[in-house]
Amino acid sequence: MRKSRIVRPVKILIPSEGTSLDSQIGDRFGTSPWFLITDLTTMTVEIYANPAADMKSTGMQAVACVIEKKADVILTGYCSPLAEKYLRANGIKVIQNLQGKGFNILEQYKKKGYLFSRECDTSRSEYKSLLGFSLLQTLRQVAVMLPLIGGVIGLLGLFNAFVSKQVLLSIFPGSNGLDTLAGSCLGSISAGNPINSYILGNALLKRGVSLFGITAFIVSWVSVGLLQLPAEISLLGRRFAIYRNAFSFLMAGVIAFLTVTVLQLFQGSFF
Amino acid sequence: MRPGGSRRNPKQTPTTRIWGFFALVLLIYGGLYIVSPRKTAEALKNCGHFASQIAIPLGLVFVFMLFINLFLSPSQIMNFLGRKAGFKGLFLSAIAGIISVGPIFAWYPLLKNLRDKGASSTILATFLCNRSVKPFLLPIMVSFFGWKYVLILTFFSVLGAMTVGVGVGVLTQKYP
Repeated sequence: MRKSRIVRPVKILIPSEGTSLDSQIGDRFGTSPWFLITDLTTMTVEIYANPAADMKSTGMQAVACVIEKKADVILTGYCSPLAEKYLRANGIKVIQNLQGKGFNILEQYKKKGYLFSRECDTSRSEYKSLLGFSLLQTLRQVAVMLPLIGGVIGLLGLFNAFVSKQVLLSIFPGSNGLDTLAGSCLGSISAGNPINSYILGNALLKRGVSLFGITAFIVSWVSVGLLQLPAEISLLGRRFAIYRNAFSFLMAGVIAFLTVTVLQLFQGSFF
Repeated sequence: MRPGGSRRNPKQTPTTRIWGFFALVLLIYGGLYIVSPRKTAEALKNCGHFASQIAIPLGLVFVFMLFINLFLSPSQIMNFLGRKAGFKGLFLSAIAGIISVGPIFAWYPLLKNLRDKGASSTILATFLCNRSVKPFLLPIMVSFFGWKYVLILTFFSVLGAMTVGVGVGVLTQKYP
């Protein structure tokens, strides 16, 4: 364990508003622009930009950064319980409710560091047990997303009730290229058990739709989700959701082309 | 300098937007019920069917999330699934995507959890796209389309999913 190797804290991390110890200490660990790491034995200061400060990244990237830089103690205004849990799990002490200039905070810590550490013990008692905390945390994470999942289920229910199979079958124009495009579009707005896509694909094949279109339909049925897009945007980010769905849409066509071409090659040459 | 002061954290779950989306869907149902009560009742029945489909996968997701919250630290996740995870991470997420079951949206909470702890976009996209490969359903697919077709499609699907994963990773890094 890393903690047992440390006789006394040597690397102190201060989230800061500026790049020197004269700057004010950051009020929130996760969003402060700079991390100043001071080696107490040499009093040298290393300056790092907080990877989570742009507010586009997650606070957990700040946690990972601190762990990577091997800091022993964090002196900050506020640190979220989740971040604190992971920092503690990695042997890093978190001392909160501090304000003022970095230099003063550091001096204060050097003089009476162990008085501060009692504040850490208070927050530790909130957890009671790690299992209970993690269980509660997981329940909260899932509960927050339930309305979103409910909304997506509602949209899927509407789509299946109001759009008939006849309408779906009628959109294939009859040429390989356009069938592939139609298959990708149809698969993108459909959802449900993939077995349904096989059954529908088989029915389409019997009606003379090209295998290119059917393959694109089967692939995009599972990998592209226009009805689920609001949920994906909300949870995983707008750009990620749009890039992924657009890429997957294009890839459905490419996979269809490659699969059917190779199949035809095999059937023509070897079988 | 009190905790949670004036600075708003935009990374918090947009609860109002989530409930807004749910309320909008309810409104659509309300409107459609006036126009076509029979079809809307059918839609509600479909919802029950979807909800029953999602129950087991959501339970699985809950167990996985609990496991991650309990045992895996952000640094470990970044090691296995972060930007520097390389082919190891790509391979792991492809396997996880292939063996995952249930509707795609049942897995969003787990993926959000992983993302919050440092998993990269490449890994998440590879996981989601590899869900087009369904090993448990392959026999059914073979009975419809033949084993040669299924074999070739599976091969290109895995390859395509990894390509999408890498592409999304590059794009989100270049245009965040």
